[in-house]
Amino acid sequence: MLTALILIPLLGALLVALAPARFTKTLATAITLGALLLSMIAAFQFNWEFPAHVSFAQSFPLVEQLGINLSVGADSVSLLLILLTALLGPLCVVGSFTSITTRVKNYYAWLLVLQAAVTGVFAAQDLMLFYVCFEFTLIPLYVLISLYGSTNRRKAATKFFMYTFTGSVIALAGLVYVSYVAYEANLTWDWSIKTLQIAAQSMTRTEQTWVMLAMLAGFAVKVPLFPVHTWLPLAHTEAPTAGSVVLAGVLLKLGTYAFYKFILPFTPLAVMQYAPAIAVLAIIGIIYTGLICWAQSDVKKLVAYSSVSHLGFCVLGLFAVNMVGIQGSILYMINHGLSTGALFFCIGMLYERYHTRSMDEVGGLAVKMPIFAFFLVFFTMASVGLPGLNGFVSEFMCLLGAFQSGAGGPGGVEFGTLGPWYAAVAATGMIVAAMYLLYMVGRVLFGPLLEPDGHHEHEKLPTDLSWREISVLTPIAVLCLLLGLFPTPILRSLEAPVGIVLKDMENAYDRALTEAPLVVNDESTTDGVQVVVAPIKEAEAAR
Amino acid sequence: MSTESLALALLIAPLVGSFLALVFFRRKHVIASGIVVASGLVSVIASAMLLFGAGHDVGAITARWFSIGDTPIEFGILLDGRTMIMGAVVALITLCIEVYSLSYMKHDEGRGRFFAFLALFAWSMLSFVYSSSLLQAFIFWELVGLASFFLIGFWYEKPSAVAAAKKAFIMTRIGDVGLFIGLILLFMTTGTLDIPAINTLFAGDGLPEGIAPGRIELIAALLFIGVIGKSAQFPLHTWLPDAMEGPTPVSALLHSATMVAAGVFLVTRFHGLFMNAQQTMEWMLWIAVGTAILSSTMAMVAKDMKRVLAFSSISQLGFMLMGLAAGSLFAGYFHLITHAFFKALLFLCAGAFIHHVGSNDLIAMGRAGAAKQMKLTTVALVIGGSALAGIPFLAGFFSKEQIIGSLPIGAKIGALFAAFLTAYYTFRMIFLIVRPNADSMAVEDEPAHAQHEDGHEHHGPAEPLAMLAPIILLAVGAAGAGYIGNWIGHKLHIEHIEHPSITEMAPAIVIAILGVVFAWLEFGRKGARQTGFVSKIPSMQTLFERRWYLDEIYNVVFVRPVVWFASLCIGAENKGFDNGADAVAHGTYKGGRMVARSHSGRLQFYIGSAIVVVAALALTLGFRNGGGAG
Repeated sequence: MLTALILIPLLGALLVALAPARFTKTLATAITLGALLLSMIAAFQFNWEFPAHVSFAQSFPLVEQLGINLSVGADSVSLLLILLTALLGPLCVVGSFTSITTRVKNYYAWLLVLQAAVTGVFAAQDLMLFYVCFEFTLIPLYVLISLYGSTNRRKAATKFFMYTFTGSVIALAGLVYVSYVAYEANLTWDWSIKTLQIAAQSMTRTEQTWVMLAMLAGFAVKVPLFPVHTWLPLAHTEAPTAGSVVLAGVLLKLGTYAFYKFILPFTPLAVMQYAPAIAVLAIIGIIYTGLICWAQSDVKKLVAYSSVSHLGFCVLGLFAVNMVGIQGSILYMINHGLSTGALFFCIGMLYERYHTRSMDEVGGLAVKMPIFAFFLVFFTMASVGLPGLNGFVSEFMCLLGAFQSGAGGPGGVEFGTLGPWYAAVAATGMIVAAMYLLYMVGRVLFGPLLEPDGHHEHEKLPTDLSWREISVLTPIAVLCLLLGLFPTPILRSLEAPVGIVLKDMENAYDRALTEAPLVVNDESTTDGVQVVVAPIKEAEAAR
Repeated sequence: MSTESLALALLIAPLVGSFLALVFFRRKHVIASGIVVASGLVSVIASAMLLFGAGHDVGAITARWFSIGDTPIEFGILLDGRTMIMGAVVALITLCIEVYSLSYMKHDEGRGRFFAFLALFAWSMLSFVYSSSLLQAFIFWELVGLASFFLIGFWYEKPSAVAAAKKAFIMTRIGDVGLFIGLILLFMTTGTLDIPAINTLFAGDGLPEGIAPGRIELIAALLFIGVIGKSAQFPLHTWLPDAMEGPTPVSALLHSATMVAAGVFLVTRFHGLFMNAQQTMEWMLWIAVGTAILSSTMAMVAKDMKRVLAFSSISQLGFMLMGLAAGSLFAGYFHLITHAFFKALLFLCAGAFIHHVGSNDLIAMGRAGAAKQMKLTTVALVIGGSALAGIPFLAGFFSKEQIIGSLPIGAKIGALFAAFLTAYYTFRMIFLIVRPNADSMAVEDEPAHAQHEDGHEHHGPAEPLAMLAPIILLAVGAAGAGYIGNWIGHKLHIEHIEHPSITEMAPAIVIAILGVVFAWLEFGRKGARQTGFVSKIPSMQTLFERRWYLDEIYNVVFVRPVVWFASLCIGAENKGFDNGADAVAHGTYKGGRMVARSHSGRLQFYIGSAIVVVAALALTLGFRNGGGAG
């Protein structure tokens, strides 16, 4: 199932590239819709009773001597992110119909490749597959930005590539080190994430710290965490609309997903020690980039910076290291993907009509484009975290998680090293968010009508949104509302996988204190029963 | 009908109305407004049936929303005395204002949208009032803010309206963050956000077990910060006068039963908790007294009729909080209800005059002879003004007496002073409209031009029925709401209401009458100069007119530093972090060039570097083994 989800867009890309140009749009739409349908079937087949169970597991040996497999599988966290990716796929395709007019085939083919790579990252159960896909996302996006972007695209694309590539090479070093540790312990190479996790947790605090820093170097760039965020605004501003949507919608989540998948369970001791430092960076990011948003006149840059600010909440929730925080953080990934993705769509529609992103040149559009105004206000409010829409619940939970972290309380675990002050300072980010987003809405939609000099109606596009554009935005809006009103099913499905990560971390932490035998929760083999694995520590001590 | 279906109908009707009006009938104004008024009517009937039919507390109707750990977070409808009375008042006043708007907004091109937002506002406020959990209350508290953002900025082509809307949203959001943190802290302390549960917890004397007094003080203080923002108390009150940029019916709604009332209602909702935080209550008392006096001084010199009323709202909200802070739930709640009637009435009268005269300026209204042309409205204005001033036997008199009666002596003096100023500025307003005179020295700021606020020429009768009917209804309320005090007390389960004796009431009555007489001497009598005693001290006049320079001070102390800091961030971003990253990249590139040059066959270099690499590897592995063993 998951293999098909990766292969459909990949082969589809080939098909699009080979087929005559007049079929390109139809084909791309059909392929992405097919993938969406398949992902929905997967969602129906998924066993929501045991959401931590890795479903749809498949494994193909690649290099047997080195134990490299291509194994895929999904628990609820992965599946939700795969669903998000599959949803944004057709929307990106349909959303690009009028904006891309040259080298059309190429464009859609790369877009499909990108989708395949992203799905691969979320589905990977093997480090090699994960890393290959993680890196491979760079190439399609590099092409999309450098060929289809706006004026400064070359620089943006190169910067984006260099920045993230440098980071992930360092992360690779850290991960390879972990697999070497696993090799030493088991005397065979095994790249499955589960094995590596057990090995990684047996490392000393110092080793864990170095490994964590290495991984942080790679993944924090992707998130992006302050102060390594500077590639993002440029990349976003220059990217074509669909590129921005995928970038904000799912690519940034690769970073936070990797935080959740690798940093938290691999290096619990280091996380416990350095969580406050990372949280401080996240909070600085929230407020600092929020203020930068406020002083922007480029709409797209504003939304790009707001991404950095928002993902600060996400990271804060993760490093609260408790149930509420991590649940909220994962929900935040999905919510941010929806609302910010939609905001980029809106801005793309604006750009197609006026060919400018500057709020000094366009304004007061509510008079001319009431439907556009409705959607922009709607997604802005979702982004501000207006209660009732999706952003609120996750923001609330991230902050609550940070607040409770380190203190026992109802619903919280006595674990984690943040505290009320982190939450209180981060909460001022809510004011800043209201400031800059209302400022944007105020300038773009309200006030006297302002259009660029020499503007004439776009021949192909109606004044207000077309049906095609409305049909791109409506599904996202409906989901924003639904997730805001009924977050329970998703939150409940996150409980078990997050619970396992937390339990593992706690055990590792306790073990470091008492040197007890290693206990790992492995729900994939026996639901909820704890399996005692031969203590690696003892073996090491004997040597 | 069952209680559940009534409660649901009352909450869902405005939502459906708003949705239909906004999505389907935005341009079909008649249908949109019809739907919204009908939905308002449903709410009024259902809330009245709940209030009079149920008779006693029926508890809460709840459904699970999501859970945090094992603690369910529920959505629900809470039906007790406090919610049902407030809900009925909100529904009634909203309906009055919707009917009034039918005529008031007749010529506005966006009135479909206007009615949709009115219904959205009504829905948010009603849902807030009937909330059964604090988180739900917070959600609708925010939605009330959103709806008011849309309504204040309704004429979005007017930059000042957009600025005012943003200011309102952001200033109240500052308070909201306080409330939000308080909410989280309350949840962590008590393990629940359920309002009845929290009230039971804090119902008895003394604190519940295991909760430190300091913690309760902190929670109460944080909740109070939210109230300060929403109910426009010092120091976050500055958004409210600017909010007058919205159409007048919006001001009427914002200032009477919704938006600003939400803050005070929150305090009444958690009065048990607040009573356990004596230190915070002390602060609340003095902030309320200070706000009441401060805003009254601003009202004394304002020439814009809506602004006079806005300042008076701030000061009356101060009165309510005084009563609550002094420990009397009944006094504060009672004043909240009576104030809703007379303040809505006053705003609707103001709207009628503005509509007719085409100016907000009091002096211009008087000189245009509005009072003579609009007799019924003028009578209603006098009733509403007298109720506000606390003239005996009208609504405001009873509730204000209750508040003043409950205050400790120091605060009482402050409150009496504010009451004096209230009577004075209210009747200054009335006399300026009703008794223009030839000897007046007052200067018009904004001459009348018989135009509608939005620039449409006004035709038709001065007092159309759709505007007059709500005014009359509210006038009856403003005159009579004072007599239902005992019934309200009964509904709130307050067994014994202390009615102040005549001797206790005397000072307030005397003060109110003094205020009126003083206003008469300066503005009302024949040949009055109509300038007011404040103008004799020009510096004071300017101080009041500029609203104590608070906007300017905030600008210097808060806004500019934040702007400065934001530009600093931009600088750091572009010159520092971004350039830094570029510099690293360039450095690497140059390094690469150098390395490239070294690939020129110099054997020594290769051997040297090989040794270095091997040494580094050995060191790393050694470190690893050493670390592993240790």
